[in-house]
Amino acid sequence: MSEIILRVEHLTKKFPVSGGRFLTACDDISFNVRRGETVAIVGESGCGKTTLLKTIMNMQKTTSGKIIFHDVDITQLSGEDKRQNYRNIQMVFQDPTAAFNPKMKIKDIICEPLLNFDLISKSEVENKARELLAQVDLPPDFVNRYPHNMSGGQRQRVAIARALALQPEIIACDEATSALDVSVQDTIIKLLVKLQQEKGITYIFICHDMALVNMFAHRICVMYLGNMMEQLDGDKLDGARHPYTQALLKAVFSTEQEKNQYIEILPGDIPSPLDIPKGCPFQNRCLHCQELCQQKKPDFQEIEPNHFIACHYPV
Amino acid sequence: MLLKVSDLEISYAKSTAPTVQGVNFELNEGEILTIVGESGSGKTTVIRAILNVLPGGGKVSKGEMIFENKNLRALDNDGWRKLRGKDISMIFQDSGNMMNPVHTIGKQFVEYIQVHSDLDKKAAYDMAIEKLVLMNLPNPENIMNSYTFELSGGMRQRVGIAMAITFQPKLLLADEPTSALDVTTQAQIVGELMFITRGTGAAMIMVTHNLGVASYLSDNLMVMSQGKVVEYGKTADVLNNPQAEYTKSLLESVPEIGGRRYV
Repeated sequence: MSEIILRVEHLTKKFPVSGGRFLTACDDISFNVRRGETVAIVGESGCGKTTLLKTIMNMQKTTSGKIIFHDVDITQLSGEDKRQNYRNIQMVFQDPTAAFNPKMKIKDIICEPLLNFDLISKSEVENKARELLAQVDLPPDFVNRYPHNMSGGQRQRVAIARALALQPEIIACDEATSALDVSVQDTIIKLLVKLQQEKGITYIFICHDMALVNMFAHRICVMYLGNMMEQLDGDKLDGARHPYTQALLKAVFSTEQEKNQYIEILPGDIPSPLDIPKGCPFQNRCLHCQELCQQKKPDFQEIEPNHFIACHYPV
Repeated sequence: MLLKVSDLEISYAKSTAPTVQGVNFELNEGEILTIVGESGSGKTTVIRAILNVLPGGGKVSKGEMIFENKNLRALDNDGWRKLRGKDISMIFQDSGNMMNPVHTIGKQFVEYIQVHSDLDKKAAYDMAIEKLVLMNLPNPENIMNSYTFELSGGMRQRVGIAMAITFQPKLLLADEPTSALDVTTQAQIVGELMFITRGTGAAMIMVTHNLGVASYLSDNLMVMSQGKVVEYGKTADVLNNPQAEYTKSLLESVPEIGGRRYV
């Protein structure tokens, strides 16, 4: 296995809300990211996955916990050190239309990070942009286009080219394919995998689609209500033992009709993150809930090598 | 036969080529037809044309739509008002957007029922509550007093469906009814749509880009691309034995649990 380049340790993020209360968006999250691997963070809306990513990107401060990137706790960085750290971790957003300035040409969009860090001069912009577009399989003469002249899939490729510009070690993708059509989504995933194999890039990929991450993730982390529920290898998804992970897997409709008879409907709604119940956060929807689950929050522990789970009664 | 659409052509402006061309299908009572396709394929345009709510100057330029022996293209405004929301009703992608955010759900629900019936306020209110209960919504009185933004996406969608089925329509049109929802909520709503249509005998045309949902729910499946019908037939036939290259490539690109892996 390759070396660990990013270590998230006991990360907690709370947001103050009115009445002196706190909304816990991420509660004691720990995981490791290895070089050249894809870590997928899966969960439904409101589970804290985007907050987690923003914290890793250093876009907001943590309440407690550490994010260690190559032996440096990046949450403690400030000023120029913090700015330089952005070169190592870049981001691709969900909606490529909103991620660009509509008045900028593609070449200026792609090369802006390079100019910000004085890595190229303005006269080199055109050539560098052509080179980067080629890496994401777009024709080089797109350099003079504007974002609105392109399709959604093409725009997302430009967003990936911009993230690649600084040759970062990690690219964080926040639902990078969920705004795209399914055939386009497939080509973008293939592109990401190709770039990973060529350059050894590491991805942290946020997603709500189990079937999608199942295609290319090396590690899968499942979150619910700000808590990490399960962590396992991407090719061992059928060995998932947390009731919530299983519920997510059983809620995916398949194009193969015989598989759809195994669809199971998880009852209830996610409780408000402002009053998370005592004990296990998943208790009110869990089919295996027992008394202990209402009393004590389960620890996040390793039940098999490389398989972590927070559940008193794994199925 | 409930609805027969033949050679439908829809254009948004006179000068440009038609957006949708050559759509033919038939729908019997209680049947579910799903139209799948990628964005811009014209699938939403088709169901909006059936309800005559095309946006921005869109017009049916050719073809026939016969609903219960009535020619829909010949209806006047009065005729449409009687049909819409009663015999044919629509469920939108986000039902929150179809309602007014500054009025309570109850006020709008009661108003909707009174427009289409002679019920007094009290009876309309009770009817609304009954429909909310049918959609598994807890505390229906609470929901009637809420504003749309106070409800979760799944609850809003349930309210939208409850309104759409109030008068037991013969035809439900659903435009991506589960696309904005989380996976577990999507499974709940799809299950409820199935229960409602099978229970009341309503026919449904659902537009979706999720082939998995289409596979689960529908009797017939229509695949559209660039304004044209690429493939149309029994759902099982289309999925297991696709004829068009486009359908094949579309099916291949759908991610599956336990399916292919690129790493």
